[in-house]
Amino acid sequence: MSVAHRVLSFLVLAGVAFAAELHPPAQVTAGSGFSMPTSGSGDATFYLIGPSVAIKKTVHLGQEVKVDATEVETAGKYVASLCSSDNCSSSTFYVVAGAPDRLSFMLHPSRVPVSEPNAINGTAFVFDKFYNLVLNPSTVNFQVVQRSGPPLNHTVKAAHGVAWMRMPSTPKEGPVKVIATVQSANEPRVIQQVASDACHLRIKASRTAKGVLVETDPVRDCSGNAVPDGTVVSFTSVDSNGKTTVDAPIKKGIARAELPVSGTARISVASGVVMGNEITVGGRS
Amino acid sequence: MKHRRLLLSAALIFAVLCAVAGRIRVLAAEGLPDVRLNADSIAPRSIEELTGRNVTRDYAYAWRDLALALNRNQKGMLNDYFTGFAKDDFANRIADQARSGLRTQYVDHGHKVKAFFYSIDGSAMQLIDQAQVEVRILDGDKVVHQENGTQTYLVLMTPGADRWFVRSIQALNNASDF
Repeated sequence: MSVAHRVLSFLVLAGVAFAAELHPPAQVTAGSGFSMPTSGSGDATFYLIGPSVAIKKTVHLGQEVKVDATEVETAGKYVASLCSSDNCSSSTFYVVAGAPDRLSFMLHPSRVPVSEPNAINGTAFVFDKFYNLVLNPSTVNFQVVQRSGPPLNHTVKAAHGVAWMRMPSTPKEGPVKVIATVQSANEPRVIQQVASDACHLRIKASRTAKGVLVETDPVRDCSGNAVPDGTVVSFTSVDSNGKTTVDAPIKKGIARAELPVSGTARISVASGVVMGNEITVGGRS
Repeated sequence: MKHRRLLLSAALIFAVLCAVAGRIRVLAAEGLPDVRLNADSIAPRSIEELTGRNVTRDYAYAWRDLALALNRNQKGMLNDYFTGFAKDDFANRIADQARSGLRTQYVDHGHKVKAFFYSIDGSAMQLIDQAQVEVRILDGDKVVHQENGTQTYLVLMTPGADRWFVRSIQALNNASDF
């Protein structure tokens, strides 16, 4: 028998207490309490240190150390330590997130023109009921509910707790609801789709006492949505006196302006980068 | 002669003050842990150079503040670089530590950080951090637990007005899929 073994046997026979070792489970699901057996006798101090807790309590050796469910709600690394009067023994374990139960959903932008490719993007973070990021793969459904027509669905596998998607805006203006869903949790967000640039811009002219009154047909985008009132339309006339441009806002869907015209003039129309038709009028001499 | 002496003294004092101020700046810089960011495989949005620099800087500040806050049990030190769940969780731990007479010491040997997710709208970035940190948990002066090694953290950072905040930081057991 070695000297070390003899010393150890002597100490055991003499009743000297050693700090009992703790054996927590290697992995615990958040919010699940558990117990750890201890050996020996007498009192010891138990410590549980985790991302959001630091607990110190006296325990009786030989009895189980109970860890409450509320003490392991945050995912991450924990230290369980048991200290007697002269030494400590500690172990580490990990708490992992439970099943998906909550979502944090960001949808961008809040206003978007219709029929724009990749114009809408959404990011959803998947949490368990204690707001721990769920790292196990889960499926997030993004449902797009339009004012008319059937809802559209995009299903995305969340990686490392995050699911994201990108989609075009739909052709109709108005509010569009996007609902992110994982298991029983869902988060709705609403974005406003607005008409895009004017399309097929057309003008007609009629003579007035002062010149020529030019007005557009109802101004719509390429999907048939009315371009909002206030959008500026530019009318340009070129006659023998030169070039005149008048900017006019759309009112009740139509933009109109009176242009002073001398002799024959060419009148054109534009809104933003969109050109409309061109007409020729004969003015007063 | 008297004027020359005064000028010489003033110059000497000025030089000493400059040296002290410079030293303070150096010490402050030395107080920051070493953070190396790799964003080569970030998606779906690419990272701008300035953003990468800012994230690296602010993540280093966050670890410096966390180490100080957990050692001194001052949760106010989390205000500058933590927000959301990360801030709430550490604040709870600090309150518990203070009640129980515990504190945690970090000796930070650096972080190898890989940025792998940056949302399209730029509102969130996920990082995986291989941190070399020595940890000591003390009850008064008694060491309750100590460890030294590499720990993997999954980190979520979000931008604020002038800096990036740590919103979530979670130690991982198995980081093989990153």
